[in-house]
Amino acid sequence: MPEPRANTRTETRASTETQLDDAWRVVVLNDPVNLMSYVVMVFKKVLGFNETKARKHMLEVHEQGRSVVWIGVRETAEAHVFTLQQWHLTAVLEPDETR
Amino acid sequence: MKRVEKRVEVKLSLPVVAPLLDIIRELSRELEKSLAAPQALHDLDQEFRGAWIGELLEGQQEDLRGLLSLFNAQFFSEGVVAFDEKNAEPIVRACTAIRLQLRERRLKVLGDEALETGDVDMAGLDETARKAFMCYLFLATVQELIIQHLDSTIIGR
Repeated sequence: MPEPRANTRTETRASTETQLDDAWRVVVLNDPVNLMSYVVMVFKKVLGFNETKARKHMLEVHEQGRSVVWIGVRETAEAHVFTLQQWHLTAVLEPDETR
Repeated sequence: MKRVEKRVEVKLSLPVVAPLLDIIRELSRELEKSLAAPQALHDLDQEFRGAWIGELLEGQQEDLRGLLSLFNAQFFSEGVVAFDEKNAEPIVRACTAIRLQLRERRLKVLGDEALETGDVDMAGLDETARKAFMCYLFLATVQELIIQHLDSTIIGR
């Protein structure tokens, strides 16, 4: 996957320190193509979920259209989004504004 | 102790599957320059977004080559394809890429609900759409097969 952005590149951003410290959410969106078993398998493989947790999030995606599957530092969130996208899931990165 | 490599061989119906390969090859060519699942990357700067998409595209192309290589001389002589530790993951991903592209380019007529439930009146489809939907179902079957038989030992590791 692309190398995580170097700290120097974030200099142009406002409040760099704050941004790096802030939490980011990895959100998976529903699509009509991917099989339920496939999504469960991807969650287990990419995010290390057990079967129960993977099924819970898969059903959330299926029934509610989206599921927050991970929250944490930006760099790791980016890595998860990239890997989920490699598996052709629609995954997006969102700032976690609940904190 | 030597670990036994898991391998699953499946005998397919040549007359049924061979005609679907033309669609798979055609869609693979379409996917050389675009992602099967276009992603919203608004939060990335332009340079990083370019590298990100480039790497996704490269991986997608490699996976599709893996899927196409499944249909080799053994398939055309005996109808047999083999899944193993090396090719399972790329093939499962490539099946998804092709299925997404089928939805986008060949099966719009069906609508998403029909695709999701599989509740499709095949007799009501024209030849092109019927073939595309057969391909869509065939690739889902390949995925299920790999996930069921190889998941815990190979993909889940």
